[in-house]
Amino acid sequence: MTTMSDFRAELHAWLDAHHDDLAPRYEPPGSLDEEIAQMQRVKGILFDAGWMRYGWPERVGGLGGPPMMRTELGAALASRDLADPGHFSLIEVLAPTLVDFAPPALAADVVPRLLSGEEMWCQGFSEPGTGSDLASLSCRARADGSAFVVNGQKVWTSLAQYSQRCVLLTRTGTLESRHRGITAFFVDMDTPGITVSPLEMINGVREFTEVFFDDVVVPADRMLGPLDGGWAVAMSILPYERSSCFWQRIAYLYRRLELLAALTPADDDRAAEAIGNAYVALHTLRARSRATQHRLAAGETLGAETSIDKVLVASAEQATYEAARRLLPAGLVETDDSAAAEAWRNELLYARAATIYGGTAEVQRNIIARRLLDLGGDD
Amino acid sequence: MDASERALLAETVRDALDGARGPEGADLALAGVGWLDMLDAEPRDAVEIVFRSLGAGNVTASALDDVVGRALGSPPALAAVLPRFGAWEPPGAYDGKRVRARGLATARGSRATEFVMACRADDELVVAVVPASGVEIAPIHGIDPAAGFHTITVDAEAARLEPVDRGAWDAAVADARRAIGYEIAGAARVMLDLARTHALDRVQFGRPVARFQAVRHRLAEALVAIEALDATLAAAADEPGRETAALAKIVAGRSARTVGTHCQQVLAGVGFTTEHPFHRYLKRTMLLDGLFGAADDLTVAVGRQLLGTKQVPTLVEL
Repeated sequence: MTTMSDFRAELHAWLDAHHDDLAPRYEPPGSLDEEIAQMQRVKGILFDAGWMRYGWPERVGGLGGPPMMRTELGAALASRDLADPGHFSLIEVLAPTLVDFAPPALAADVVPRLLSGEEMWCQGFSEPGTGSDLASLSCRARADGSAFVVNGQKVWTSLAQYSQRCVLLTRTGTLESRHRGITAFFVDMDTPGITVSPLEMINGVREFTEVFFDDVVVPADRMLGPLDGGWAVAMSILPYERSSCFWQRIAYLYRRLELLAALTPADDDRAAEAIGNAYVALHTLRARSRATQHRLAAGETLGAETSIDKVLVASAEQATYEAARRLLPAGLVETDDSAAAEAWRNELLYARAATIYGGTAEVQRNIIARRLLDLGGDD
Repeated sequence: MDASERALLAETVRDALDGARGPEGADLALAGVGWLDMLDAEPRDAVEIVFRSLGAGNVTASALDDVVGRALGSPPALAAVLPRFGAWEPPGAYDGKRVRARGLATARGSRATEFVMACRADDELVVAVVPASGVEIAPIHGIDPAAGFHTITVDAEAARLEPVDRGAWDAAVADARRAIGYEIAGAARVMLDLARTHALDRVQFGRPVARFQAVRHRLAEALVAIEALDATLAAAADEPGRETAALAKIVAGRSARTVGTHCQQVLAGVGFTTEHPFHRYLKRTMLLDGLFGAADDLTVAVGRQLLGTKQVPTLVEL
């Protein structure tokens, strides 16, 4: 496997050959339980066949190779509806943290469990008082001998109810210390004092949760990075989130547009315009994300300019579902109780979040104005 | 070319165009920096650098004739007959005896002795060269008289006729669209620079208007549109083809509109006068959007293609 295109071709050939093993055993969308079980099963098959190990270092059970191989795998799964890219790509915002910041023995022990589908992990970053302003987080970790005691609350924690571990950001300095007083930990979710409470989203799915920490004891050797060094841990995720995760989402959206085109009559210029609009937005995003990933692969550090990628992801996602809203048969979203209608309804409602999560559309524009256009401070 | 060679060439082209007088002077300046040789040897870099410079300098030249002529395999430096405004079909028809065409000519058309054009001949494509005596040509004033476009009507016996592969026209359209995309990108960057400078200089309510979030977000929106255009232009250069070029042209037209709208609003009163250079860039991009297919029409055409084939191809890979 010398080039990415060879890798891609071999991967797709393998996925074609193993389609029956990998396909969901329920009619999509399925329940969240079914969908998560499907993803973990697929990860297990792919791990055993080696595909889940490409792009990860050998010291955490990988087979080496450029991280772009992981991106290709995630995109291939998304384009075939074998795993939800929003859930599958969580690996990209969790495992690299362990690879880069955990004690080596811990990383070597746990990363293969995540990759093989034996475990799921969640990311405890956001809090009720901490949305786009992550440096204001207040969930506290207090040193107590050779351990830390955590008290506080997280929210918007994806899939915590399924997770065995949590990459958790805590406040170890004063609140005023902002990003300088944050420490990251790798916490076992079965530790006494952790309560997970799912939140029902606007689309009826209970994917996000609130996680409560009540005198939760975390051994000091579960610290990721140094004490008060958690901000660097949190920021280290950004390049993965803004490259691999986006690429997987893009593959998924192309697939959605293809499904929509299949349902739409060919002889309607209004439909052609709506489909065309979404396609232009997707192509624009794909072109931008490709350039970003080539920069990353060439060793460049990604920074504020990826706010542009983030804005384009949100626009493309919303353009895709805007087209769906205009073109799906009348009443399908509002009054149809078939599984297919349920899937469109879920996604259409979920798409509104594209301008909210991961830093709102407004925050991205603030970053672009200050950092990329150098307009100075605002009022 | 590596990055530093490209930067050097861009500077050379900019300087040459800066000193040029009028459309003929601009063509001479481009000839002076070896434009036609560059177009043959390094078409990708040559087109990007020259057309960005034309857009950024609001310069009228006829380099588009050369891009189209090259794709059609015509001798260099002829004037080309381009499709009518908004259209992208071959502008001519050949019935075995005479060449008839209707379309646009650039500034070069007003002084040319020969014109080259793609013509339909039954199901074939021929490239015809006709003498200036066989054409009627008239300047277009329109929204941007300085752009130097002309309407042109041809009814003549061809001096030369060359059958070419039908794909030659697709290639000409794709190359032209990429070139125009770069010209729009060059102009759009200047519009944003003008608006940004104004926002930082203009004081109202005791502070620069750049401090107001509503203003900042408009400028951010403009930058997103420009970066989006650059990305699709790079994709069209890396994966040359009809589709990637059409998409880049669509994004060019849309980005110009987004950038023009937001920057004009930020420039407010001064951007509404002809004392400020903004209006020249706005008008030029409005005109360029219509060459070889406007964004809105191309969007429908692309959408029709997707609905016809029920395939949504990804076009670019990692």
